Amino acid sequence: MRRLLTLAAGLAVLAASACSAPAPPRSDAPPAKPPGPATLPAPTGPRPVGTTALHLTDTSRPDPWDLDVDARELKVTLWYPTKQREGERAPYMTAKEAELLLKGSGIATTPYDTLSKTRTNAVKDADPEGKKLPLVVLSPGFTKPMSTLTSLAEDLASRGYIVAGIDHTYESYATTLSDGRVAECLACDSDTDPGSHAALVQGRAADVSFVLDQLTSTWDRSGLIDRTRIAMVGQSIGGASVVAAMVKDQRIRAGIDMDGTSYARIPKSGFSRPFMFLGSRDHVPGGPDNSWDRDWKLLTGWKRWLVLSDAEHQSFTDIPLVADVIGIEPLPGMLPAARGAELTRTYVAAFLDQHLKSQRQPLLDKPSSRYPEVTFCPATCGQS
Amino acid sequence: MTAVRTAAAGLALLLAAACTAPTPPRGQAGTTTGTVCAPPQAPPGAETATTIDIIEQAYFCILGNYYSGATLDARSLLTAGFVALTQELNHDGRDVPGATMPALTGDRKADWAAFETTYRKITDQAPDLRDKLTAVTLQAIVAALGDNHADWKHQDKRPPDYYDGDGYGLGLEANVNGPQVDTNPGAAVAPLFVATVLGGAAQAAGLRPGDIIEAINGSAPFIDGEATPAIAALYPKYPEARPVRLRLLRQSTGRRWSVTLKPGLFQRDLAGLQVVRSKLLDDDIAYVRMTGFAPDSANRVLRAITRLRTGRTLSGVVLDLRGNGGGSPVEAARLLSAFVHGKNTAYQCTVDGTCQATPTDDTVELLHLPLVVLTDRDCASACEHFSAAVKDLRIGRLAGTRTAGVISGPAQGYLLANNTLLSFPARHHLGPNREVIDRIGVPPDHYVPLTPKDAAAGRDPALAKALTLLHA
Repeated sequence: MRRLLTLAAGLAVLAASACSAPAPPRSDAPPAKPPGPATLPAPTGPRPVGTTALHLTDTSRPDPWDLDVDARELKVTLWYPTKQREGERAPYMTAKEAELLLKGSGIATTPYDTLSKTRTNAVKDADPEGKKLPLVVLSPGFTKPMSTLTSLAEDLASRGYIVAGIDHTYESYATTLSDGRVAECLACDSDTDPGSHAALVQGRAADVSFVLDQLTSTWDRSGLIDRTRIAMVGQSIGGASVVAAMVKDQRIRAGIDMDGTSYARIPKSGFSRPFMFLGSRDHVPGGPDNSWDRDWKLLTGWKRWLVLSDAEHQSFTDIPLVADVIGIEPLPGMLPAARGAELTRTYVAAFLDQHLKSQRQPLLDKPSSRYPEVTFCPATCGQS
Repeated sequence: MTAVRTAAAGLALLLAAACTAPTPPRGQAGTTTGTVCAPPQAPPGAETATTIDIIEQAYFCILGNYYSGATLDARSLLTAGFVALTQELNHDGRDVPGATMPALTGDRKADWAAFETTYRKITDQAPDLRDKLTAVTLQAIVAALGDNHADWKHQDKRPPDYYDGDGYGLGLEANVNGPQVDTNPGAAVAPLFVATVLGGAAQAAGLRPGDIIEAINGSAPFIDGEATPAIAALYPKYPEARPVRLRLLRQSTGRRWSVTLKPGLFQRDLAGLQVVRSKLLDDDIAYVRMTGFAPDSANRVLRAITRLRTGRTLSGVVLDLRGNGGGSPVEAARLLSAFVHGKNTAYQCTVDGTCQATPTDDTVELLHLPLVVLTDRDCASACEHFSAAVKDLRIGRLAGTRTAGVISGPAQGYLLANNTLLSFPARHHLGPNREVIDRIGVPPDHYVPLTPKDAAAGRDPALAKALTLLHA
């Protein structure tokens, strides 16, 4: 039987806030000697990848979490094609960010800097190459730094996309701001309040519109971006934020919600831009969460609802890839980490290639023998 | 049947809205004895039918774990269950000749066996009613405890089009609501009027705060000053969807009219749903409204006060606990610890009189600020733990109306085999002077009720009183 990854207690607590399945109990087996840093899987596209970070400040609105700040500062990490194959790889996150993430997640047994030393594939501050590239905005799960979607971001950039990953300040355990201060999770204070998720995705939609304004006009490299080809992808509350952002901002032409219970109201008149739900078993039709069933009825354009059997809430993120490093016990029953990353990259890229590059993807038409884990809902998947 | 709903309806909703497992709101972990039932360890699976075996599990769960489970006369529970069962048969026009109570001996196991045998014979003759009969029987057994923190609940059903933060119902809240409707109806005071328009049908029909509700579906809300069950129709729960007809009087104009409101989902103001909200009043008063003693809520209140205090000298704190349905006693004790140290805030006592004190947490920094707490008859459970300690320990004054009187003791939830939740306390609550608060409530130092005229004019006399007290 395959050794499969899943989540241990700490991260499951985070996931619970997004309505995911309970985590299986942590195994009692004592961990072996602490492993060295993980290496993210190599990008699958033809282009080398560069990355850089921008700090953008929206002075038009106060910060929704720090009531004493009258502007909203966001950290945006860009991944993009480059010619530069050699050079220093970008750090995964800072040691301080890793420490705050692990402490916040209730994982206290791991040397923090091992996570921050996770080896990435993108060349730090490399020169971007190309113009009028399709843009993909990424939004991570609640409490998670943007770094937790690096594997997906690097892969998309290697396939010719420019990727803008947003750290939504104070909605993550750790975001390093422009002055070096590390913002912590103020939003965690009110996460259990009724309506808090609905309010949070509205805030993220405003973050996304502001970032699009900046990247497509104010930014000195805005020529890299094709303003008519913009999509958004997110995991968990980041996926819910895709719905919220698309409802509010017509510039986003297509979107994917990866395993996020959704909170934004889609107008009753419907919503016709291409949309894909990509989820774990908790998000089957008629399952414990009503939100995808509710939204599915209102999606009137191209739409898919794919469920990965044996996936869990984090299968769409880097968390399984670094699980050994942060002391999360692999348990039987879930996709191996590498397979989860492969499926996520493959289906996300297929969706984006079809809708931003107009390249038809038969993979999205029906189940594939190469990827038997992927079921097409609601037609051929039922509640197990 | 006595309603034994938990007081913290608001908080329970809140937890449900967060999509996590409905942890029992008053879930101070009690000691669990016996193996017949256990607290839920994970979000429960899908609910299945309630059968006689579930009633049996609940019966022995109560006897093994409830406050007076070891000493109570179990026959009283079975008799109450049987009364409800036969009443239901009668209501349905389906009485059964053999539906007579078996003789009970006082032997808990033998009595159960006799009850079960008779129960099966009866329900075999009305198989189509079986689910209904089982539910009323179990509800009656739990109600027979006469304990407002004892409850048996089905899993919440949500409308399929529900969004986070939505409300369900008529879209209004009257001055009589929450525990005054389902737990302690003796607390309600006439007249009945609209206190808040939340949205939905009430908003669409143009209702306003202060509108007097003279009749509900043709029935009077009060008869000779006593609240009637008609008031409960103001608060339908999904999937109840029958329209409700109200006769209204607007005192300012003398207009008298009727509306029919259809229950449904309605959008609520998201900011208004925050459990802790704060603002500065009169440049020197920190006003903090807290709608539940949710996890970490004490720290949230303290952070809010610290923030309002930064760069200025405060004259005092108004803590608005009106409508606060309770929550964690740990949070209540923690918040009290910002006002007093070295005291016991409450006692939790077993049936034989052995009490455990709930002391202040003296690691919490003292605020050294005058305090006025706003209370009303919806301030229940942990809210009353807090209010009683404020009064008894002389750390502040209470303004408003008496608290709910719904604080038998901290409830522990137990998951039954069909994934429904049974909850009840193992200990009963006493105030800092070892006085009973349950069913009595905590009287305010300054009695300031809300009148329909105040509501219509948007006035808040209790808050005005609090500001006067702090500025005196």
